[in-house]
This record gives sequence, structure tokens and C-alpha cells, in this order.
Amino acid sequence: MFVEGFPVSGRRLKLRINEGGAKLLEVKDLNAGYDFLQVLWDVSLHVSEGEFVALIGPNGAGKTTTLRTIAGLLSPMSGEILFKGKPITHLPAHKVSRIGISYISESLNLFPKMTVRENLLLGAYAVRDRKRISESLDFVFDLFPRLAERSSQLAGTLSGGERKMLAIARGMMSNPELLLVDEPSLGLAPKLAQRVFDALQELRRRGVTILLVEQNVNITLEITDRAYVLEQGRIVLEGKSSELSQNEHVKHVYLGI
Amino acid sequence: MGIQTNEGQGRKDFSGIWGSFVSALDKIGFSPLGLALLILVAVAPWIPPFNQEHIVRWLIGGAFLAAQAIAFDFTAGYINVVNFGFAAIVGLGAYTSAILANTSPFLIVRIGLPPWIGIFVGALVSGLLGLLLGMLTLRLRGIYAAVMAWFVGIALLGLARNLTPLTRGPLGLHPPTLLSTTSNRPYFYIIFTMMVVTYIVLRMVTKSHIGLAFKALGQNFDAARASGINPTKYRVLNFALSCLFAGWLGGFYAHYYGSLTPKTIMHTSKTVEVLAIAYIGGRGSLWGGVVTAFPFVFFIEYLRSELTELPGLHLVIYGVLMILIMIFYPDGLAGLYRWAVRKLRRDRPS
Amino acid sequence: MERTLTGPSMRSAIWAKIGQNLVASIVIGGSVAAGIALAVLAGPAQLINSIVTGGMWALMSVGLALVFGVMNIPHFAHGESFMVGAYVAYFVFTPLHKYLKTNPNAFLSTMAPFIAILAATLVGFVLGVIIEKLIFYPLRRRTRAQWVMNTFLITVGISFIMTNGATLVLGPNFRGIPRYWDVDPIKFLGVRIAFDRIVAFAIAIVTIAAFWFFLHSTQTGRAIRAVAQDEDGAQMVGIDLNFIHSLTFGLATAMAALAGASLLFMFQAYPTVGLKPLYFAWYVVMLVGLGNIGGAIIGGFIVALLQTATQQFIGIAWEDVIPTIVMILVLLLAPSGIFGSEVKGVHEQ
Repeated sequence: MFVEGFPVSGRRLKLRINEGGAKLLEVKDLNAGYDFLQVLWDVSLHVSEGEFVALIGPNGAGKTTTLRTIAGLLSPMSGEILFKGKPITHLPAHKVSRIGISYISESLNLFPKMTVRENLLLGAYAVRDRKRISESLDFVFDLFPRLAERSSQLAGTLSGGERKMLAIARGMMSNPELLLVDEPSLGLAPKLAQRVFDALQELRRRGVTILLVEQNVNITLEITDRAYVLEQGRIVLEGKSSELSQNEHVKHVYLGI
Repeated sequence: MGIQTNEGQGRKDFSGIWGSFVSALDKIGFSPLGLALLILVAVAPWIPPFNQEHIVRWLIGGAFLAAQAIAFDFTAGYINVVNFGFAAIVGLGAYTSAILANTSPFLIVRIGLPPWIGIFVGALVSGLLGLLLGMLTLRLRGIYAAVMAWFVGIALLGLARNLTPLTRGPLGLHPPTLLSTTSNRPYFYIIFTMMVVTYIVLRMVTKSHIGLAFKALGQNFDAARASGINPTKYRVLNFALSCLFAGWLGGFYAHYYGSLTPKTIMHTSKTVEVLAIAYIGGRGSLWGGVVTAFPFVFFIEYLRSELTELPGLHLVIYGVLMILIMIFYPDGLAGLYRWAVRKLRRDRPS
Repeated sequence: MERTLTGPSMRSAIWAKIGQNLVASIVIGGSVAAGIALAVLAGPAQLINSIVTGGMWALMSVGLALVFGVMNIPHFAHGESFMVGAYVAYFVFTPLHKYLKTNPNAFLSTMAPFIAILAATLVGFVLGVIIEKLIFYPLRRRTRAQWVMNTFLITVGISFIMTNGATLVLGPNFRGIPRYWDVDPIKFLGVRIAFDRIVAFAIAIVTIAAFWFFLHSTQTGRAIRAVAQDEDGAQMVGIDLNFIHSLTFGLATAMAALAGASLLFMFQAYPTVGLKPLYFAWYVVMLVGLGNIGGAIIGGFIVALLQTATQQFIGIAWEDVIPTIVMILVLLLAPSGIFGSEVKGVHEQ
């Protein structure tokens, strides 16, 4: 089976049509923050199965906080988070990861003194089936051949672009249904950033649902289906990415037109 | 005892005679309540049942521990460095004074310096070592500084054990006592005065701009340095002062108990006793350790006299209490007091 | 990690690096010299002796390094785990030995010490897990502010409770055994070495090797290293921090108990028996850099050489003074140890 020239292992055959699918992730009236500083105010959003959704907004709007709260690294003050219809609001991070949500953070959180291969194997920590682990390894090495070349190098010695790839690959090792990606282009040269976006699109084509947080609004609205605009901790706009890129506010503030 | 009105906690009303009295007290670091408690302790040796000789000994033990806790907290609670070799510094002062006072032919030093002078020389030597310790730990933070102080303490203990011509090693020394009397009461007033002096001097320092610099260094070393506070100067000063008093107190120990071995005074477990008292009392208060020390020593001595077949029980209690405080109430007794004062002020209609 | 250094801090970083290399070469050179001096002047017996001791110090230090690396706890009660191991081994072995005197059984005589040592290790593991669940878990849930210093003081409290608790319950007297196995000393390089020592050394080496394999070649072992390197990252891949923390503390305690049990014939069991092993384990971890597990293995042997050389050439009473002075110099010139330590959170105040 091939999708656009990429060999795909059997388990990734479920190609889905955008939208119309069941809601994979649903966030309702989320309030969250750190100690006495509330960052998110009544944030509601959803991501349907197979969708590629973006969350854009200025620095400090609370985009990372949203992802960290969904990923379970931050406990919300109030509100609800549903995954496949089941509440995961106060689930600790390691359990969120085990039910099929991978979070790829801005700082990547790689294990710098372990090899690329060890990092990847840990990505499949919750997977007990050796065969599935080796399938996942094949899959990510196929997606990022560069990592295969560097598999015995320490993660701390990789270049910036390679580190991003490793983080995405590690997130894919558990065969997640939902990928939360935080600022993948941060600190990358445009060419490398493009490479990372290509990879995300490729994953999407292979049936992975993605919620992307990105500063680079231009490209983001090009490649995603839908987007939310988060400003000062509140969702101020939402809609199809193609429509949002025509919106006056978005054009003015984010696209600089 | 010296419960001090907290700086910056509401306005202080210093009008009237009572007001000027409170203000004068505040200058030397006391609150009226603290002074009342202090006077209570001061007259205790005359009030039954505290006037019995063995209970006066407990009071002396309490004051000795309390004074040590003040000097210890001056470093731990202000510049946030745990001097884990504290007991060895106390021991250094004790040994210096004891060796200088020696007249017996067992030691190579036979100066016979009167203990009254010796304890100040001991304080000076300890202060100098504190200066050195301050310099040694200068580049180190947190646990590294604590371990450095600990290693210096172990080295000192080892020296006291091994330099037998000076210290007679584990056999110990029998320095002359300060007074020729067998009554404990005069000794109580000596250590009581030493404790009060330690408190007032260190409190005055922490209330001045120097204390502010200490706190700044303790809370955020880098930010303090960036805002122009010279860490070398203040850290070394802090260590030197704290150790100076530690050595001075050690001198009292030597010439009161009249017996000195490396293990009974310099061992790490002695540091832990002081540390536990200071932490249960509350870090960064100076007086917290004093308020804790007296009831503690009484409780423990009582246990010890009632349950002679259970050696070490008091140390187990130290440990348990310390762990509970560290987990559930890291601000200690002083924190509790501050909380109560705030609560009272808020509830009182203005 | 990838911090850009500017003028003065760059210069101090370079000086720190020079200091570290200087100290590293002095310490390693010094211990090689001490080893040669021991072999030439004191005969191979002392050299072999220090290698055997080194294995045990390494075993103790690996546990200490592990607890610091993974949980950021400067463990001051590690010596008490050693003490517990020694006691358990004594109380398991002595009745077995008595029974065997009346009912000789060659197989059981060979196995009895192993049963005692294994029991001590298991008790150590369980004790470690209980301490973690009872003390560090609630503290971690409460606050992580000032974690390193607070946990240090808490372990000081634990040590106090355990030594004095042991005195209360078991009394201050020594409980020991002359030897585990009734086997004649074995001749090696013209030196007679007690069979117990050889077994103790073998246990240390096998345990360290097995532990190394566990850390590097199993998912759980990798997870332990992952937690040491990046806690958030570990949670993000599905690692349960609570499980890893309990496991780590259990393993470290078990290793110290194992050391105490296998050295029972040498140290005996008494409340403060753990003090010396604790000191030496701390020398090792400060020497090689806090939290550096690989370094702790080599460091164990370096410190043992230093210790034996001091005993041999200066006097047994100085065996902790000289290493302490060396360690003070190491802290002064290379605070992060001769092999370096990059443990998260160490530099918090």
C-alpha cells in the first residue's frame, strides 16, 4: 500500500476525510494557569478525527499553556477535556501519553545523554509488544532517514533541525492518534522549518490528527484545515484556515498585510 | 524569649511611654512578649521546682543549645547556607580555650591561660576558621556548600582525634572550670548572658543593611550579585560572625562541663541537634531556635531521667519532628507566630 | 544547556574547565602512584585489599549517585541502609548457622550466606520503597521549592531516626560473625585472601555489571535515566514518575543493604556502622561529580586506593582525614567533580 509514494505499514491504513469525523479532542471552558496567575479563560476548542488544526496567537497568549494542560503537565483550574468522548481533565501526563496523545513541546524535552535510538525506544515506553516497537522504528526512520543515520549519536549532540525531527519521531513511536505540536519551526532556518512542516503534512496524510501551535501564521494557515486564534487567554476567532487567512483582523495582525 | 516584631508587617505605633519603651526594645530586637519570656527564664533558677541543681543544669543545656541555634540560623536562615560543620567549629573554640588553659604535663602546650581570656581567644580562632570557611564555600551553592562545610568539620574532628600531643585524642581533655563554685546558678547566668549577647548582636546585624544584603544573597544569589551586592564580602562576614559566636559558646562548654572529647562536641550528630532546633524554631528568625530549645531540653531530659533504659529516644524524636516540620510546616514555629500575628492584626477593628 | 556565555562568565567557565582537568589529572595520577607505591612498598596484599574495598565503595556510591541523579536527593541516610543490611544478614545467618552446626548439610552451608545476603537486599528494597512513599512522595506533592536542601535535611532526620532507633531496639552492642564460609583463604599472587572477601568483591562486581546492563538495555532502566535527564520529557513518553522514584529509591537502598550484608564479616552490625561507608560514598560522589553513576564506579576504586595508601603510609587514624582534605581541594577547584555532573536542579539555592 502506498500513499503518495511512501510505503506505509498496515496499521496506518485508515485514511480519513477531513471534518465530519467524530470529535477526537474536545476542550470545554478551560481555565488554567500557574499558581496565582490565570492564563487561560474559558477556552473551548475541538479537533475532529483526521483533522489538522492550528492554534495561533501572539506571544504570551496561552498557546503553550493550552497544550501543556491537554497533555496533563498542568492541572486545569476548571473546565473539561474530553478525548474520544471520555474525560481526561485531571489525568496525569504519563497516562495522557498512554491513551494516545503525544505532546511535542517547544523545548522538545529530549534525553540529551541518550542516543537517538534510545530516545526513540523510550517514545514507545508504554508499548510492550516488541514487534510493534520495531515497526514504529521502521516507520519513523522511513519518515526521517536522517535519524536512521544518526541512530547511535547522543541526542544532545544533534543539530537544531535534527532535534526537532527526533522529538516528532519520538512522539510518533507510541503510535498516537493525536499529536500536539508546539512551535516546531522555532529557531530553525526557513529551509529546515519547511522540512518540518512537510513532515507534519506527511503524518497528516498518513492519518494522524494534529493540533499545531505556531508563530509562522502564513505557512500554518496554508497547511491546516481549521484554526483558532487565541489572544490574551481567550479564543477570539475560529474557522477554516482558508477563510481565516482572508479575515481582516488576521491579515492585519498576523500576516502583516 | 526574644520574639521580635516583624519588620514591614503593618505600621508600628510608637507613641506614649509604652510606645517609646516598645520602640527601644525593638531597636535591640525584642518584642514585649519576648522580653517577658526572657525575664521568666532569667528568674527561673529561683522559682521552685526550677531551683533544683539538676534542673538548673537543664536550663544551662537549654541556653547553650539555644545560643548555638541563634548562631547557626544566622547562616542557614539568612544567607541560606547550611553550615554542616557547625559542631566542629564549636569544638574548635572549646579545644582552643581548653588547650591554652592547660597546665598538666600531658600536653606539649602548658600556658595556663585563664579560661576567662581563653574563651575569647577560642572565639577568635573559630571566627578565623569561619572566615576561611566562608572563602572556601564562596563559589559553592546549596548542597555543595553544605558538603564542603561538612568535610571541613570531619577534617577538624579527625585532627582533634589524631593530634594527641595537643588534644590527647579520644581520651579527651579536662580543662579547668570557669568558677570554683559547685553551684550551677552562676554558670546559668553566664550562658544566659552569652545567649542574650549573641542574640542582640546578630539581631542588630540582620536588622541593618547588612542583613538585607544577607537575605538578598540567600534568596537569589545571582540577582543579588547583579544588583551590586558583593557576595564575597557578605558571605565571609556572615560565616566569620556565626563561627565567632560558635567558638565562644564552645569555650563555655569546655570550662563548664570540664571534660572534652572530639566525639562529644565535634561530631556531625551535634550539628544535627542544633540544626533540628533551629529548623523546628523556624528559619531566618533567630529567636525561633531559642523558643524551641528550652521546652525541648526539658522534655528530653525528663524522658531521659524517666526512661533510662531507652537511650537515644530523644534523638529519634528530634528526627521525627524535624521531618514532619520539613514536610508539613517548613516555616517552623516562627512561621506559626507570624501567621498568628497577621491574623490578630487583621481581626482587630482599626 | 545551550547557554551562550559572555565575557566574564566565559572566562570563569574556561577556568572551571582548567581546574577540573587539573584536579582530574592530579587525582587520577595520584591514585595510580598510590597503587604502584602500595604494590612495591607494601606488597600486593594491600593493593588487592584496596581493590576489594573499592568494589564495595563503588556499590555504595552507585546507589548514592542514582538517588541524586534521578530524584535530586542528597541522601544522608545511605549509611543506614548499609546498617539495615548488616543487621538483617546477621539475624538471618546466625540461626541458620546454629542449625547447621547440629544438622550438617554441605549444600545449605554453602547457600546460607547467600540466603542471608539476599534477604538483606530484599528488606533494603522494601524499606527504600516505604521511605519514598512515606516521606518523599508527600513532600514532592506539597512543594518542590528548595527541594535539594530540604530533602538533604530530611535524610539527615531519617539517619538520626534509624541509628538511634536501632540503638533503642537492638542496643549499642556489636553483632558480628567471624566469617560466612568455613573455607581456607585462597592464595593469589602469593597473598592469602579470605574467601569471604573474594565473594564480597564478586558480588559487588556482578551487581554493578547487572545494574549497568539494566540501566542501559531495558526499557525500565532507560526510563530511570530518562527521569534523571528530563522529567517532563519522561512524563511525555508515558513514564510514571512516582513508579520510577520508588523503584530508584528501592534499588539504591537495596544496593547499600547488599553491601552491608556482604561485608558483615568485616564491619559487623551496630547502630552507627553505616557512618564510615556513608562518608566514603560521599567522598566518591563528590569526587566524580554528583549524580554521575558511571564515574561513581571508577571513583569507588580511586577512593579505596587513597584510603589504603593513607592507612599504609600515614596511619589508620588518618584514613578519613586525608581523603577529606583531598575532597575539600576537589570541591574548591572542581566543584562539579573530576568527571563532571550535569544533573538538573543542582544549582538551585
